[in-house]
Amino acid sequence: MAPHSPGTEQIDTLLWIGFVAAAILIVAVIGALLYVLRRYRGERGTEPRQVTGGRGIQVRVGAALALFAAALLVLSIVYTDKARRTPTTGAAGFQVSHSEPLKITATGQQWLWRYDYPNESFSYYKLVVPVDTAVELDLVTTDVVHTWDVPDLAPERDAVPGKTNHVVFSADEEGTYFGQASTLSGQAYAAMRTEVDVVSPDEYEAFLKSQRQGIQAAQDRVVGLIENGEVP
Amino acid sequence: MSAATRNPELVVDGFPPRRARWVEIATSADHKDLGRVLITGALGFLFIAVVELLLMRLQLAIPENTFLTPVTFNRVLSLYGATAVFLFAIPLALGFFYYVAPLQIGARGTALPRLGQLGTWLYIAGGAVLYSGFLFTPTEAGVNPLAPLSSLAFLPNNGVDAWAAATGLATLGFVLIAIDLVATLRRLRAPGMAWRRLPVFSWAAAICSWLLLVIGPVMIAALAMLLIDRNFEGIFFAGDAGGSPLLWQHLSWIFFTGTYMLVLVFALGAIAEIVPALARKPLFNRGAVIGSLAAIAVLGTLAWMQNMYSAPIGVGWMYFAMTMSLALIVPVGLVFFNLIATLSGGAVRMRAPLLFAAGAIATISIGLASEVCHSMVAVGWRLQHTTDSTAATHFALVGGAVFGGFAALHWWFPKMTGRTMGETLARFSFWTMAVGVLVAFVPLFLAGSEEGQVVDAYKFFGGTGVDAYNLIATIGAFVLAAGILMTLVNAILSRENGAPAGHDAWGGDSLEWFALSPPEPHNFDVLPDVRSARPLRDIRAAIAHRSARAERPARESQPVA
Repeated sequence: MAPHSPGTEQIDTLLWIGFVAAAILIVAVIGALLYVLRRYRGERGTEPRQVTGGRGIQVRVGAALALFAAALLVLSIVYTDKARRTPTTGAAGFQVSHSEPLKITATGQQWLWRYDYPNESFSYYKLVVPVDTAVELDLVTTDVVHTWDVPDLAPERDAVPGKTNHVVFSADEEGTYFGQASTLSGQAYAAMRTEVDVVSPDEYEAFLKSQRQGIQAAQDRVVGLIENGEVP
Repeated sequence: MSAATRNPELVVDGFPPRRARWVEIATSADHKDLGRVLITGALGFLFIAVVELLLMRLQLAIPENTFLTPVTFNRVLSLYGATAVFLFAIPLALGFFYYVAPLQIGARGTALPRLGQLGTWLYIAGGAVLYSGFLFTPTEAGVNPLAPLSSLAFLPNNGVDAWAAATGLATLGFVLIAIDLVATLRRLRAPGMAWRRLPVFSWAAAICSWLLLVIGPVMIAALAMLLIDRNFEGIFFAGDAGGSPLLWQHLSWIFFTGTYMLVLVFALGAIAEIVPALARKPLFNRGAVIGSLAAIAVLGTLAWMQNMYSAPIGVGWMYFAMTMSLALIVPVGLVFFNLIATLSGGAVRMRAPLLFAAGAIATISIGLASEVCHSMVAVGWRLQHTTDSTAATHFALVGGAVFGGFAALHWWFPKMTGRTMGETLARFSFWTMAVGVLVAFVPLFLAGSEEGQVVDAYKFFGGTGVDAYNLIATIGAFVLAAGILMTLVNAILSRENGAPAGHDAWGGDSLEWFALSPPEPHNFDVLPDVRSARPLRDIRAAIAHRSARAERPARESQPVA
């Protein structure tokens, strides 16, 4: 996996900071533990010096740990804040009026994602978005909680009944990105995947048009069948 | 035979039991009998949880496996979660607290024994309800059944009801035991046993009991709402009818996060008894360790929204949870530092309890350091709901409940049975578990953080780069299971055949080693006047002093303590 949006780049940086911090803590604890266990062995008969503690060293260790935690807190807030920032649509992107993000609704339903585009066309499973364009997904659900999770492009977000959740991202490169719903939603949960196709603005418009025509044709066909009395 | 004795002798060697042993146990309100019921029950359910974990790992050994159907997998997953948390981790901790804490404070029993008895059997009833599979279809809703998946509309069979009833009964039982422990620790301490002299494990018992009194009722309330929603057309968690699915998440995560902390405080409390005794030094900065344990319980529980970073809640709440979570570095770090400082400069005897205690410190540190990483909000947006979080939770909780629990088991087993657990088998078990836990869960860290493999899924797809990780994790899970099984077998064998341990098996400093092994029903015939935090050390010093004086022509004998 590699980050392909400004937000996930920030997440990736913070992830590395977190890895390093965790590694420092793990190595310090396990290293010190192994050292004292190897160094201080003694069988019955020996009575070591009965040290009960030391206020000075306690305060110093506590302060060092507090500083470590505070540094992590500051770094987390800085990078989380950057990751939350709404990206701007670049020159190569799809130009929406008033420089607002392109709004698409993602509806979670057992066990498929439906995407509704601004021109009333829609698609299942596959989300098509223009490259270098700020996209805002409105996440809703028709049944249970679903988590929309495409780690290369955006932070994960839950679609919760009765609420609308939002996620914004801007893909920096054309290509196909995969995601998988990541909150247990019932039987076919593991198969509830999604795909984001990042394409050029022209291809995006062409996709919307063809999708709309396809939907229209299908509707016409159904209407025709009903009128002919072939479908009750 | 010679002449008949003229005066009949009355030999009092314990009255013969009037009733069968199991009837005695089933009707006993003695904290030691009930503690053993809790511990035995917990270890039995540990075995079941391990079997369930292996079933899931078998299913996830190869991509798109069809060993278990999706529904079966979800049922096994749900049962595994409830078993590991409600039927193993909490009762194991409470069992040791309930057995040991009254002895440590020099009490002859508990303050409200019938309450503890009711609590213990409510827990057993909860386990029976969860596993009465002939009557109920097991729930498919997962470890934490989020609303509205848990609602009647999506799971119309009675599995979720059985789950809610089972966990509710068990939680109610835990709250009752906690009430008894709080009352006992407040009211029944021996003369001179001030709070400042209370052993660390009894402090841990007090902290965990208070914690349960806070989080237990929250869970019981949430479960009651769930049952009302399902059975009486309630709308507490129905998002489309004016209720709030997020309410369930808040209430349940408060309980689950608090439980996480309870397991850690239990394990660290037990380790803080084992380390000083086997290093033959007092616990370094005792007061700071006790304060840190209390801080872990409070700060950790307040970080419950760390589980909700992807939910539609304000980012300020996420920062709040992150602050609490990161603040946890200080108390956990201080406890680790003080434990290691206790070992430093000591005369360390590397016995099985210390081996498991060291293993617990190592695995907990890996788990909690990963949780530190997850608690950073933007990182949580990426790693939560991946197997990376599965691995972090399992490192911390296997470290706390299994390694820490086994350390406590090896430590107090001589007190409970009068016999020591086999040392050789304990060592084999430990090293197998240590290898197993690393091989089982490190690959899941990598699968989650590198490839984003999601949690709770009944299958994964080939070509996503996680095939090897999952296969290795499955092998590791079997190694871990073999190690756990060895200790369970060791406990069963040693109950009858272990080496006799004596009453003070390890040279401990706290009062439970003053009682017989196993203790009499009334715990103590006489109680010493407690004058320090290490009463048994004072007694040994007094005996040494008296025998030294006895060798010289003593003018008057000094009474012992």
